Amino acid sequence: MLVGKASPEDYNLHPAQYPWARELYDQAIANTWYPHEIPLKEDLEDFENMTEEERHAVKFIMAFFNPAELIVNRSLALGVYPYLKSAECHLYLVKQMWEEANHCVAFEYVLETFPFDRETIYNVHMETPSMKAKEDFINKYMIRMTETNLDIETPEGKKDFIRNLVATNVVMEGVWFYSGFMVMLSFRQRNKLRNFASMINWVLRDESLHLKFGINLILSVLEENQELLTEDFAKEIRDIIIEGVDREVAYNKDLFPKGILGLNADYVNQYVQHIADRRLEELGLEPHYNVTNPAKWMSTATDVYELVNFFEQQNTNYEVNANASGE
Amino acid sequence: MNINVTHRNGETAPFDADRINRSIELACRGLTDPISKVTQIATETQLALYDGVTTEELDEATINSALQNVKDDPEYEIAATRLLLKTVYKRVLGDYETENEAELTRLHKEHFKKYVAQNIADGLFDERMANFDLDALADALDLSRDHLFKYSGISTLLNRYATKDTQQKPAETPQYFFMRVAMGLSYNEKNPTEQAIKFYDKMSRLEYIAGGSTNISAGTARPALSNCFLLEIHDDIDHIAQSISDIIKISKSTGGIGASITKLRASGSPLSSNNTTSSGPTPFAKIIDTAIRAIQRGGKKKGALCFYMENWHLDFDDYVDWRHNAGDDYLRMRTANTAVWMSDEFMNRVHNDQDWYMFDPKEVPDLNELYGPAFSKRYQEYIELAESGKMRTFKKVPAREQYRKILVALQTTSHPWLTWKDTVNMRALNNNTGTIHMSNLCTEICLPQDKDNIAVCNLASVNLTAHIKGKEVDWQRLEETVRTGVRHLDNLIDINELPIPQAAKSDRENRAIGLGMMGFADVIEKLGFSYDSQEAYDFTDRIFEFMSYMAIDESANLAQERGSYAHFEGSAWSKGMVPIDSLKVLVEQRGDTIDVDLESKHKGLNWDILRRKVQQGMRNATLMAVAPNANIGLVAGTTPGIDPRFAQVFSRNKISGKYLDINTNLVDDLKERGLWEKVRNQIIQFQGDIEPIAEIPQDLKDVYKTSFSTSPYAYIEVASRAQKWVDQALSRNMYLETRDINEIMNIYSTAWKKGVKTTYYLHMKPRHTAEQSTISVNKRASLGKSGFAGLRSAAGASSTPSATPVPSPVGEQSAQKDFVCPVDPQERLQCDSCQ
Repeated sequence: MLVGKASPEDYNLHPAQYPWARELYDQAIANTWYPHEIPLKEDLEDFENMTEEERHAVKFIMAFFNPAELIVNRSLALGVYPYLKSAECHLYLVKQMWEEANHCVAFEYVLETFPFDRETIYNVHMETPSMKAKEDFINKYMIRMTETNLDIETPEGKKDFIRNLVATNVVMEGVWFYSGFMVMLSFRQRNKLRNFASMINWVLRDESLHLKFGINLILSVLEENQELLTEDFAKEIRDIIIEGVDREVAYNKDLFPKGILGLNADYVNQYVQHIADRRLEELGLEPHYNVTNPAKWMSTATDVYELVNFFEQQNTNYEVNANASGE
Repeated sequence: MNINVTHRNGETAPFDADRINRSIELACRGLTDPISKVTQIATETQLALYDGVTTEELDEATINSALQNVKDDPEYEIAATRLLLKTVYKRVLGDYETENEAELTRLHKEHFKKYVAQNIADGLFDERMANFDLDALADALDLSRDHLFKYSGISTLLNRYATKDTQQKPAETPQYFFMRVAMGLSYNEKNPTEQAIKFYDKMSRLEYIAGGSTNISAGTARPALSNCFLLEIHDDIDHIAQSISDIIKISKSTGGIGASITKLRASGSPLSSNNTTSSGPTPFAKIIDTAIRAIQRGGKKKGALCFYMENWHLDFDDYVDWRHNAGDDYLRMRTANTAVWMSDEFMNRVHNDQDWYMFDPKEVPDLNELYGPAFSKRYQEYIELAESGKMRTFKKVPAREQYRKILVALQTTSHPWLTWKDTVNMRALNNNTGTIHMSNLCTEICLPQDKDNIAVCNLASVNLTAHIKGKEVDWQRLEETVRTGVRHLDNLIDINELPIPQAAKSDRENRAIGLGMMGFADVIEKLGFSYDSQEAYDFTDRIFEFMSYMAIDESANLAQERGSYAHFEGSAWSKGMVPIDSLKVLVEQRGDTIDVDLESKHKGLNWDILRRKVQQGMRNATLMAVAPNANIGLVAGTTPGIDPRFAQVFSRNKISGKYLDINTNLVDDLKERGLWEKVRNQIIQFQGDIEPIAEIPQDLKDVYKTSFSTSPYAYIEVASRAQKWVDQALSRNMYLETRDINEIMNIYSTAWKKGVKTTYYLHMKPRHTAEQSTISVNKRASLGKSGFAGLRSAAGASSTPSATPVPSPVGEQSAQKDFVCPVDPQERLQCDSCQ
């Protein structure tokens, strides 16, 4: 069983019960990168030449991501890790948590390098109602795992586990982060902030793996605990995701009060809805919004292999573990 | 939303949709189904606007709207290209109000004189630019050749090569650009105007393209036209300091650098001035790594340099780690590249599973100068000294272990690149002045250097694609292009202004040029072959033999007209040798280990006649080198160098932007068979690999492979066939799917055995990429799990309330509906995306 109270045999990595988690761990190790590999000087020049509204968007999104990575970590450490029995899942989770920390530090590296009023930016998430509402949403489910936690062996306890995982992994990482990446990568399509975009390539590569783990975990827990498969619970999960999308509307309005070239609040909302439908279907729920993906250019940004001119750009495709034994 | 547009003069006016639509209509003229394209671009443009948008951003919005549809129909790229061209015409020619092509052509010619005169007056152009019949040149300008470009070509040209105005915006049209370069290489011709038109015609038809530095600087007041510099850093503090200064100056004048550090004494080696010891090469290299980062070559591009070290250096283990992403940043190079300069002795020791010895260069000062049998002999003597305790220090490792370590580093950090010093030196026709200690930044140059000579190479590349008629090579046109290219490069040397006296001297005395070739994979596809076929290998042989013959012949002609290069006497050329003869030398010296066919595949070329002519004199120490062409390949709109098609669709992340590259050869074939619209989404879904797509017939799959599905041995074979005829080397990019180190060791050993001189960057196939955005993704389906869907199928019907579709601004655009996978598990079994 994936979820439950820990027992001594849960410390055995072999025989592996959930090899998919081990595979994700190995891939995550290969994906290791560091923020200092990204030079930002050219991006600083781009930033100087951006419009006020564009700069606001960059700052706003950084203000959200920097603490958000740590919120994810808190949720994983307190709401997921303690209730998982699988040793290979534990392996993966610690690497994921290192990655969240690395992302947080990476955003901090950008924050500290760019000409920002850092005090202000670090406080935005506490002072902006639309951003605070998103954090509150995540915290609501996390608190149930940490402060008023139910017995994990009971169906209600397991439901809380899933609710928290859906909020953190599916809504926060799988929907909100994805829309943030789209916004950040859009600058590169206009030949701005290209190095920062290389960093986002890496963050997105990591997050795609986080999502693979999270979705697989939710589906596997549901599979092992058929009693959770009720209409009411399905509707509740669906509503959590829809509420997550609803909270994004006010946030996107604050992100783009007037809009910039190529992006405005409605455009981002539609992207959020499109991605949310994808997540609903991945959980086995029906799509809710049925809208098209407005960001066709994402095919160039993320969907195909990237051939990097390594004299000009950090190659973000490399993986650090070679099969040195080979024999 | 009310949208006002901010004009250049600061005034605002309400957004005029009709005006934009009209310009989009013009850009879509003649395309298939233009009305739907215009609607699509116009609708998406409006979505991208905001109140206060500038006119410049408005142009950008229309272009980006066209571009984002290229994945569905590559014809949108034509519209984007036309829209981009219009912005540059307006900027250079002033706001014109004509939709008439003939009128625009007239304006474009008329403005040319003013463009030249103004730039000379501003001190931007060389004063010699006035010594032409400008009316005749204006008359030769052919604006219709702008239609030969792809979007990425124009964009790269404008961004990288075009002269800029004070706002850093392109200040010349593409045709002015070609004419500027042509003029800038014709000053010393008897009839400069006539020759400039000849160069212009070849370049503007994209038959060959000059190297990057020439494109940037030809015709300007500071003509630094060389791309490649190769310098040795000697083991004394003054020379190290001077080298750092040289590197900064060379970087500033847009050159890429190869720098050998083999001679620097190892860490712990005693200093003679006092009883302290040296810190070894790494800290000095770090200074250089930081220095090149400070320089912005020609605007936005960082300095670029590749270090070379021989693998017998005591600090070679540290060297291999230079590019690791973890570890002490002070011991890591973030910008500079690394290459290893390996001997036959080492490869043989790997093969025979013997030990490999590493020394402090201070104790083995002559080793770096030796190659071939002389190196092996001296190396053996040093081993004996070491084993008998007569060396201060040495290290011993199994040769295979070090080879493995090199390849592990290569797999994980793409460095060091593998290059073979004995193949380079034993095949050189030009090393009568000294040993070749390194290759260059892109591993295609083989020139000797020493303390007084910084080697320089001057580049241009022939675009093979522009020489294909139907399914045939137009040999006559190819010959003309090669001859023109050689003349262009030889002219360059007398105009070139180099920042360092040691480089200027070497350039003048050797007149080294490197004519390359691009479009190889593109042409192979057009001829209907796959990259890894016997036909492709034989074609490589033929085409390079032909180009080499013509290039050598033209240099011999120029020697008769203008005299031989200063160091011709004593060179292998002066003994009547041509590149294939040097391969015979290598075969003899190395023994039976070279696995390559020495026969000519191009009947009708009489090499004996050429040998006799060469013996009379050569104008240039070297003739051919196949550069990577990462930028000029884009300008020419073809595959760069001898590179394979990276994938059928992929993106290029470049300084001038991120472009989607779709293989239009494949698209044309698919459209012809009525398959394109059925498979285009799957081509993106499978990241440019058509192998898994059931609808595509096998004969197309055989031709259109990706760089990762092509056998890596094909890259070796193509390079070895070309290398037979190329007197310098080729930037052989490598692409691997396998991560098995033993297999990789074998691939690289094969390269050495087949006489390949150098390899270049290694691209590993990523095992994991980001979740796709524009493609339907469902991890549950691919995991075969049901999640909450189990609930619905158990209940027999969908019980979740059906979704209310939210009206979407983009939804009404057109039939751009994303493919949606069926929800029912039984239906999913029928769905390709869910299998």
